[in-house]
Amino acid sequence: MSEQYEPNIVAFLCNWCSYAGADLAGTSRTQYPVNLNIIRVMCSGRVNPLFIINALQQGADGVLVSGCHPGDCHYMEGNFYARRRFGLMKELLEYIGVDSRRFNMSWVSASEGGKWKDVVEEVVGKAKEAGPFEQFRRNKINW
Amino acid sequence: MDSKKLTKDKFGGFVELLSKQKLYVPQMVGETLRFAPVSSKDEVDLVFSNTVVPPKSVLFPQTETLYEYEAGGTELIMPEEPEEKVLLGVRPCDARALTIVDKLFSWDIDDPYYVNKRENTTIIGLACQEPGINCFCTSLGGGPASTEGIDLLLTDLGEGYLLQPLTEKGEKLCQDAGELLVEAAGEDRQAAESLHQEAAEKIVRKIEVDTIPQKLEELWESPLWKNISDACLGCGACTFLCPTCHCFDIQDEMEGFEGRRCRVWDSCMFEEYTLHTSGHNPRPTRRERTRNRVNHKYSYFVKNFGTIACVGCGRCIDNCPVNIDILDILSQVVKEAI
Amino acid sequence: MVDLEKLKNVAKETVSREDVKYLVGWRQGTYGFRVSPHFMTKPEDADKLIFSPLCVNNLATYLTLAEKLPVPRGEEPDTRKVALMVKGCDSRAVVQQLIEKGIERDSVYVIGCPCQGVLDLEKVEEKFPGVQSPVDVQWGDDKFIINLPDGTQEVPREELLAQKCLNCRYPNPVISDVMLWEEVEAWGNGEYADVKELEAMDSQERWTFWQEKFASCIRCYACRNACPMCYCEDCVLDRLNPQWVFRSNNISENTVFHLARAFHLAGRCIECGECERVCPMGLPLMSLNRKLAKEVREKYAFEPGLDPESKPFQSSYRPDDQEDFIL
Repeated sequence: MSEQYEPNIVAFLCNWCSYAGADLAGTSRTQYPVNLNIIRVMCSGRVNPLFIINALQQGADGVLVSGCHPGDCHYMEGNFYARRRFGLMKELLEYIGVDSRRFNMSWVSASEGGKWKDVVEEVVGKAKEAGPFEQFRRNKINW
Repeated sequence: MDSKKLTKDKFGGFVELLSKQKLYVPQMVGETLRFAPVSSKDEVDLVFSNTVVPPKSVLFPQTETLYEYEAGGTELIMPEEPEEKVLLGVRPCDARALTIVDKLFSWDIDDPYYVNKRENTTIIGLACQEPGINCFCTSLGGGPASTEGIDLLLTDLGEGYLLQPLTEKGEKLCQDAGELLVEAAGEDRQAAESLHQEAAEKIVRKIEVDTIPQKLEELWESPLWKNISDACLGCGACTFLCPTCHCFDIQDEMEGFEGRRCRVWDSCMFEEYTLHTSGHNPRPTRRERTRNRVNHKYSYFVKNFGTIACVGCGRCIDNCPVNIDILDILSQVVKEAI
Repeated sequence: MVDLEKLKNVAKETVSREDVKYLVGWRQGTYGFRVSPHFMTKPEDADKLIFSPLCVNNLATYLTLAEKLPVPRGEEPDTRKVALMVKGCDSRAVVQQLIEKGIERDSVYVIGCPCQGVLDLEKVEEKFPGVQSPVDVQWGDDKFIINLPDGTQEVPREELLAQKCLNCRYPNPVISDVMLWEEVEAWGNGEYADVKELEAMDSQERWTFWQEKFASCIRCYACRNACPMCYCEDCVLDRLNPQWVFRSNNISENTVFHLARAFHLAGRCIECGECERVCPMGLPLMSLNRKLAKEVREKYAFEPGLDPESKPFQSSYRPDDQEDFIL
């Protein structure tokens, strides 16, 4: 893999915890990789599994879903549903042969700017190892 | 031109000759037999069992780009001109089906995508010697050695093939093959003849179709359709795998700044096939959709083109998950009192 | 043991009831080993009913497949029950539909048929090719008795048993209004050997395997339509705005279609195997479903389609659900 390869990662962050956590990392001037395209959603439970599949299809090399810690959900239980859903999604993607390093999930609270940096570094690192995603990318080659 | 003979040891050479153009033969793709391009001559092994996906998939692909464009641009990028193709080992029923699809695509306006491909394609048929249990081609004017739509018909004589050129394209192929071929002897022709006869006798399922177009019109509101369609799941297996079904949908697809307009197979058995933007659906249930499928083949097409749009290949019977059997439907239609 | 007389009598009685619209059972098909769903509205239709190792179809699909036309003004909607014959696996589909409130309990009359395992159509048609006239098949002790036109054949049960039946743990209907005969003993241990085999491959090998399968899909949607759990009125695959899946047939769209289909069944699939059976392209779709069923059972100790009072898997949670994959 060339040194220049920079993965494109789509991150779905919940409005109440992870997005605020990322914000804190920013205002604290924490340095972390810039490969993430953040999409703010109201809750990790709002993330449709098709978002993950379509992100991969339309150009993402990796996907991250991040929400509040269990018990901290602004909507009481949204992240519990997300946890079940994406636990299975991860298994399914792995089963059809998508590299397991491409899909990640994390709990980052609004006060965890430092953890956010670690998560991003890990996610980007994994995606770099996995290389560009091509398996079912929607592109002209597949037309 | 007279018939020729190709001994099996020369078959490899013949395939090599055909490979100068893009050559398609029935091969296993995934779990199913279908026409696919040949990459090396070793793969070619003519089989009698019919492909699951009919050869229409080569001339009328499931997804076909009509043109490409760029966001904000005004220029249309047309697809490349089709290359010369050869389809080897087409069953006579499927070749006959192509002549039926031809009628539709060159009706009032020639469909350039289909017609260009069709003109650039040579069809080499293989006389069928092992009809399936649901074949009924003889009832529809075809047969295991029907020549309609075929440029060159092969008959497997065991030690070699009998080649009957039927069109200019077929004759040209025979000329090109030149030394590979020998003149067929009288007994070869007789042997082929009797093989054709034998195969025709193996077909057990039959139906008298003459009265059906008229009957169908009269049975429009018959309770028959409800009874038949009760079990229907509404999937597209029968239509997608039919060699004469030709309905398509036009779709615009964008990815980033690039887009294309393409056509994809569509099926009259799908609910959204006739769904209007308003939400109204003139064929609201599977009763109407099943009725349409049978009527299109055995009534509307007859009115428009003078021929039944079914060749009796038996695919819809073989592949229906709930055993909806077109012969069963037709025999009920014939029996039904008006 | 299968008692065809009783089955027909119960069917006649049921269909004569005032609160029953029609009855769905099985009848012999038009050729070979095929059977067709049989819709009965009057008692005399009962003669055609059968129950044999050929009755593979899961009829629970028809509960939600029936299209409802708008009721003309001044008329009352028909709220009578649909009577349904079910094997063990089919009955779980009924229960799962009840769990999800896809149907109501008093809209269905369930006739339970304990089942000793059905035939694999593909295997039997391969073993006895070219059989045109309809064939009668019966259960024997550890064998299938196949009455072919040229004589009766006996085949060991394991040889022709459908894949889904090899490991069946629920041969007896888990819900029924009337049970036709005594229950049979379950034989399966619910192992996922086939899934484990694929799991043992490395990631690239698995993709090569699935790539070939997905690429040959023709998107006829037989798997979706045959599935008793796929009954959304507005399917995500048909939707145009947003258009999640393009209509074009290529590896990208086909993979997304199959992922979406399989994931939609996560924690819902009752493993009746209909998707795989109806696929004209012979795709191993149950492998995807069974993978998810395995995870749901092993990691979350959940099984769909057993208790009508339970909550659907994906709209419930336990605070201690596994989360070792979370960063």
